[in-house]
Amino acid sequence: MNIESVLFVGVGGDGIITVSNVVSEACMLAGLDVKKSEIHGMSQRGGSVSASVRFGEKVYSPTDKLGSVQYMMATEKIEALRWIQYLNKNSVVVVNDRIVPIINQIIDEDNIDLLVNKIDTKILIKRKFIDDAVKLGNEKVTNTIMLGVLSKYIPVENKFFMEAIDIIVPDKIKQINIEAFNLGMELAKEL
Amino acid sequence: MKLIKKIISGNEAIAIGAYKGNATFASGYPGTPSSEILDFFKSFKGVTAQWAQNEKAGFEAALGASIAGARSFATMKHVGLNVAADPLMTSAYTGINGGFVVVCADDPGMHSSQNEQDNRYYARFAKIPLIEPSDSFEAVGFMQYAFIVSEQFDLPVLFRNTTRISHSLAVVKYDSRTLDNEKELKLDKNFQKYVMIPGNAVRKHKELLKKFEDLKQFSNETPINRIEKGSSNVGIIANGISYAYAKEIMPKAHFFKVGFSYPMPTEKIREFAKNLDKVIVIEELEPYMEEELKIAGLNIYGKKYFPQDGEFNLDIVEEGLQKAGFIEDKKSSVVFDSIELPGRPPALCPGCPHRPIFDILHSHKNIFITGDIGCYTLGSLPPLSAMHTTVCMGASLSMGVGASKIENKEKIVSVIGDSTFFHTGIQPLIDAYVNKANMTIIILDNRITAMTGGQPDASSGFNLNNETFEPINVAKLAKAVGIERVFEVDQYDYKSTKEILDREIETPGLSVIVALRPCVLAPKKIKDTPLVVTDKCIGCKRCLRIACPSIDFKNNLAVIDETTCTGCEVCKNVCPVEGAIVVKEGK
Repeated sequence: MNIESVLFVGVGGDGIITVSNVVSEACMLAGLDVKKSEIHGMSQRGGSVSASVRFGEKVYSPTDKLGSVQYMMATEKIEALRWIQYLNKNSVVVVNDRIVPIINQIIDEDNIDLLVNKIDTKILIKRKFIDDAVKLGNEKVTNTIMLGVLSKYIPVENKFFMEAIDIIVPDKIKQINIEAFNLGMELAKEL
Repeated sequence: MKLIKKIISGNEAIAIGAYKGNATFASGYPGTPSSEILDFFKSFKGVTAQWAQNEKAGFEAALGASIAGARSFATMKHVGLNVAADPLMTSAYTGINGGFVVVCADDPGMHSSQNEQDNRYYARFAKIPLIEPSDSFEAVGFMQYAFIVSEQFDLPVLFRNTTRISHSLAVVKYDSRTLDNEKELKLDKNFQKYVMIPGNAVRKHKELLKKFEDLKQFSNETPINRIEKGSSNVGIIANGISYAYAKEIMPKAHFFKVGFSYPMPTEKIREFAKNLDKVIVIEELEPYMEEELKIAGLNIYGKKYFPQDGEFNLDIVEEGLQKAGFIEDKKSSVVFDSIELPGRPPALCPGCPHRPIFDILHSHKNIFITGDIGCYTLGSLPPLSAMHTTVCMGASLSMGVGASKIENKEKIVSVIGDSTFFHTGIQPLIDAYVNKANMTIIILDNRITAMTGGQPDASSGFNLNNETFEPINVAKLAKAVGIERVFEVDQYDYKSTKEILDREIETPGLSVIVALRPCVLAPKKIKDTPLVVTDKCIGCKRCLRIACPSIDFKNNLAVIDETTCTGCEVCKNVCPVEGAIVVKEGK
């Protein structure tokens, strides 16, 4: 098995670290070698944040090569575009239909949306996942819904994702996260 | 013995390795990317972990614990070792009692640092062993090994990792057993060994030079300098994360994986290189290994092909391997063109108490603001643009003291946070008093080391182990020094804060203003009733100048994001129109 990679991109505070931890845990439970990279420090002050989970039989590098990422989960549209060079035609992209303003910048939101729609990968799913999360009763499970959607394409069995959520997510919000993941899997069938 | 399988960061791995290596004491000062090590370490039974006021104090505490009979280690970021360089150099003379390891994390690429110095040179400078892991798995093992090496040679060991290793996760398997100490450790009273008066130090220096000869041989024999045979006829010498990148790109090359890099295993490398067509060295930052090899008469190149600055990645290493003729020039794997987008720099959080201070300072034209290291360094960025220097920890006050002695129309204002003040700000505060500096010192006392993730400090009132104490009162401290004009402000009371700042900046002489509003994130997240913009907004953009992430500008009017607004009311205070920004009702 070649090395595959899930790239998570977003804005500080989006919960990128937690959702990427769920994926790396799931890959490990599936018996794969895993490396994950993330950058702390300045990123927690609202800057761009990314994390990458790479898995396969044997993985050396924790970071990706340009054009080599199979799966991208973007919690924000500008950030999805910022990392576009890591994608290729076969990539699967799941992006939350949302723009987070940047201090001191006027953003042309229509143009950003247009550019996202033009991402020419095998699969591009753009949706206001936050609406799904609000319906479920907690907007904080947006990432888990998106992960449920993306899991359809990642070659790791669902039971490992479930187990990973069980290990990583605190008890208080475990149930709603499992529901969110299931909702994501349901959505993936329709999208 | 149950085997634990976990995916963990390099920092957690270092803590586990230290525990398994039977270390029972650790100290250090927070600094990205090393900050989490002590937090992980403190969770083990029977250990003491504590924050020191700076890296020198942390280093010395751990050295003291070693001499008192424990295996111990100190943690810090790369620039922290500059602060601790004094004890480092002389502890190489004294040697240690219990195994003593200096864990030091470099930051190639400067993810969160002011420089990207290569600390491997410190090992050469002090003549002590240098160990470098490539991932979490190795960190667990190498850390245990470091204590053994330290005791074997009676020397501190420099354990150097980088951001990419500290903050990357890898699968690790380990059990909970700990190494036995080879000898019974007890407090070591030994005048000739630990009192570095010249008479003793002259002899200890000779001993150190002799140990170095033994270390050279050890480096050629240690299993952490290993040869991985390949099937092609080229060889790669690599350390740390560079090994991971190169191995992934060229799995079939011969590898010399360097884990023990000072002294370098030059004889073993000579053997390795002998029958290969081409050999190169791949290392981030300085040509440290390359130089060592050249000194040994080995004509092996690296920096001819690879950059000497910034962080490596797969693409950079691949490009270098192409330049070196190790792989064929391939078509770029890039499919999509990059898109020009506005950068998203970090910003002060919504509700951050530093914001009003910089907004007020911004309105002063005739001041020169010397700044320091912490979240508040973000006050230098537009639109706040209210900081003119940032060099290193504590330099705000000391640079201000010097600048105040040079005749200019600008009044000197120095801005420093609480943790940085306790780190190296107290001495220049005394300098300012003794040397009668004409300056206004602002101490942003938010009661926590915020930038590195919220570690407690001397004004938090609790320590790493959650033991409580009476927090240091910074205003009282300044008064105890003898400074007369000392004032406390609450930044959320924008008006009176501005009055006091304006007045003190205008008043000649030395004054200290302690800004007391706590951090909005730590130790607990603060969220109050959000504010909203009413139809009275005239679109003047004054509120945008405070650089609050919760404020956006749409259709020529300000908008506040209620979900992130903490209700600090700074925007309301700077708004020139009464009633344009109000507290949301019904909440």
